[in-house]
Amino acid sequence: MSVTVKEIKTLARLSKLDFDDEKCKGFLGEFDEIIEFANTINDAVVGDTESLKEVGGNEIALENLREDIVCESLPNEKIVSNVEAEGGFFPVKRVVK
Amino acid sequence: MKYELVSGLETHVELATATKIFCSCTTAFGGSPNTHCCPVCTGQPGALPVLNKKVVEFGIRAGLATHCKINTITHLDRKNYCYPDLPKAYQISQFDKPLCENGYVELESGKRIGITRIHIEEDAGKLVHERGFTFVDYNRGGVPLIEIVSEPDISSVEEAVEYVEKLQLIMRYISVSDCKMQEGSMRCDVNISIRPEGSKILGTRTEIKNMNSLSFMERAMKFEFERQSELLNGGGEVEQATMRFDEQTGETYVMRTKEDAQDYRYFPEPDILTVTIPQKKVDEIRADLPELPVEKLKRYTVELGINHATAKLLYKYKKVCDWFEGALKNGASAKHTANLVVGTIYSTLATEEDKEKFDIKVTSAEMAKLVKLVDEGKINITLAQMTLIKMLENGGEVESYLSAEDLAGVDESELEKLCMQAIEANPQAVADFKEGKEKAIFALYGFIKRATQGKADVKKADGIIRKLIK
Repeated sequence: MSVTVKEIKTLARLSKLDFDDEKCKGFLGEFDEIIEFANTINDAVVGDTESLKEVGGNEIALENLREDIVCESLPNEKIVSNVEAEGGFFPVKRVVK
Repeated sequence: MKYELVSGLETHVELATATKIFCSCTTAFGGSPNTHCCPVCTGQPGALPVLNKKVVEFGIRAGLATHCKINTITHLDRKNYCYPDLPKAYQISQFDKPLCENGYVELESGKRIGITRIHIEEDAGKLVHERGFTFVDYNRGGVPLIEIVSEPDISSVEEAVEYVEKLQLIMRYISVSDCKMQEGSMRCDVNISIRPEGSKILGTRTEIKNMNSLSFMERAMKFEFERQSELLNGGGEVEQATMRFDEQTGETYVMRTKEDAQDYRYFPEPDILTVTIPQKKVDEIRADLPELPVEKLKRYTVELGINHATAKLLYKYKKVCDWFEGALKNGASAKHTANLVVGTIYSTLATEEDKEKFDIKVTSAEMAKLVKLVDEGKINITLAQMTLIKMLENGGEVESYLSAEDLAGVDESELEKLCMQAIEANPQAVADFKEGKEKAIFALYGFIKRATQGKADVKKADGIIRKLIK
């Protein structure tokens, strides 16, 4: 399977990166190599793949889950201590037009 | 060409637990920004989620009430997306092993709207957009939700509204949520496609996000149906897209198209163990379910003999039902009680919210005393209505509003005298009645009611008047 420039551009956009066409073309070979490497797993896994789905396979019974009892939350000053808060809110760059 | 609507809904319902889904912070609505938060629900590095037992139990309850199969082995998954309302940059939700699957909600017509799945997940924070900034409040972040996904079985706007109303009622009956759309504890994403009438093939769908009122949902669906019809009739094509409804313009607009569709990269949540639910627990929860809305409506109409329209006005509000049934337990007759609730009490409760709260000064025991007086023929319904209005204003006991005279009613000879007077005072009505206008007799009832301040038994008076006129 080969990767296309269009796919690389989509991935770049999802990763919030910006590359021109030239740079994207440069990645083509690299991507193919990576995918080829990842594909080696297809040769390695044989037999019962079902057991691999739940890695660790650890379970917890319903009755051992947390009880619904309120504990004190942290004070607002502590929650926003790493930002320049406004009115107790986290201010970020506007996300809608 | 004529088209038909094909729609399926994704309904988010906030669960009425005391704490959040993965931490012990309160779920209380409101509160100053970022005061119901801790390292877990603000996604601090190293903080680990611990699943709330009640969330799973409520999810099972919701599933059983909508006839779903419960998956007794279930796990959570990470749904990755990057947005400021989600501090971890992923939402913990369920992907391939939802808690409940394959249920249905029955509409009044008998048609069943299939439920594909119900899964548990965490709510996101609230964003406020102001002055070129977005302000984030994580109080709502981590509040438990169930997402109820329906099959595309809905074929009209009316069916969609009824489906949501039925779902709302079921969730309220089983006490898993207050389902207040105005407060956001219930919201819907609506999937819509159209196809030529009679066709079996599904068209390309669009999804309208986050409807938080039934009237908006109705308007948005109508608009989107028309928009898609016009597109197809004009030779165009519907593009798969996520839309938003603008409440001001009443129009839907595109948020993102398929090309920008998000890849959520779901994978099993490694911080939470797979949950196993003993079948015994599922059976216990099933046995503990209260009477469901459909069953209650049937009992009210078939067993109690209340007419369908009145019964529907009662069963919509859980608190009203509890109060109403309390009066019945105290010996009141169903019909008179139902009519007094819908006719008299509701007239003092202006809004839907007032009826939902049903915060009135009359206890069901006092109501039973009042209705029993009517049932036993000691007072008539008009006097009962008047008394009830006073009781609603000031509370207290029935006895303090009714004098011995009231309870004695109007004796027979007095009533006959009054009937004569009524006939003399209303010659035109009498003439009309003789010509066959049945309703003309109401004028005479009115005269008698006024003269006795509602104490006279109109049924008895009716008999006397008819005899006298002949």
